[in-house]
Amino acid sequence: MKKILLALGLALSVALPALAQAREVTFTTELTDYRGDGAYLALYLTDASGAYQGTLWVAGRKSKYYKHLRGWARGSRLDPAEYDGLTGASITSGRTLKITLDLDDALIDSGYEVRVDTAVEDMRDNRADVAVPLTTGGAGTPVPGRGYVRSFRYDF
Amino acid sequence: MKTRSVIVSLTVLCLSAPVLADDDCDDPVTDWQPREHLRQKLEAEGWTVYRIKVDDGCYEVKGLAPEGFGAEASFAPATLELMELEREDDDEDEEDDEDEDNGEYGYRDNRGDGQARDKAQTNRPVPHNGIVKGRPTVTVE
Repeated sequence: MKKILLALGLALSVALPALAQAREVTFTTELTDYRGDGAYLALYLTDASGAYQGTLWVAGRKSKYYKHLRGWARGSRLDPAEYDGLTGASITSGRTLKITLDLDDALIDSGYEVRVDTAVEDMRDNRADVAVPLTTGGAGTPVPGRGYVRSFRYDF
Repeated sequence: MKTRSVIVSLTVLCLSAPVLADDDCDDPVTDWQPREHLRQKLEAEGWTVYRIKVDDGCYEVKGLAPEGFGAEASFAPATLELMELEREDDDEDEEDDEDEDNGEYGYRDNRGDGQARDKAQTNRPVPHNGIVKGRPTVTVE
């Protein structure tokens, strides 16, 4: 009997992680017509106190400029493992970046925040150009940024 | 003896400087046309010019090319001939010793259909940072 229970426990401990639900989320970032070079953006998660939790996407492929995305750079320590497979080109003034990815349900309605740092060469850097809680209720609501982001929203 | 060796060193340095400078353009300054001529020429061709500066003896322009993509271009200051054109999202072709990021994949920019999709999404490595599951889908409108 003990052996059966042990086997069952082991099986459950392996199966339960696989049962964790993931949800498709689309992040839409519209930039203003700021009349400058392509903008570098870092979309990332923080906890309620602002501590870095993980990278969602980095727009801009010259890593030497990543230090200008200050909040994200500090939290990720610019460790390539944090953004491997999550990079693309910088975004031109006035354009809209749409990213669709799968996130664990556990990250939603749990006090996590989505932040967007932005930077443009020879112009100002914006730490937390956008900072919004990641919640079911917040989905679909556009919010203005403080710098180069005209509007940001996420949808499930 | 010390003074002589310093003088010799400085002389060699001064003589070698033009060789080491590796200018991309070598038009004599007396032949240079004003930047405004270049701006007018480009705007007539459909460019949106953000700024023009001098870099390595060339006029370096940053702006939007007539095709709609962000670009950085170099022009000979005397003839206003195009020397080099680099698309804003064409970073993988640029040599950059400091760039430690290899194997990046970039966007094909707006081709007039109002949308651009990452042309190499299926070739991008699968993220493994514990936050994002699978490969994101990315578009630029």
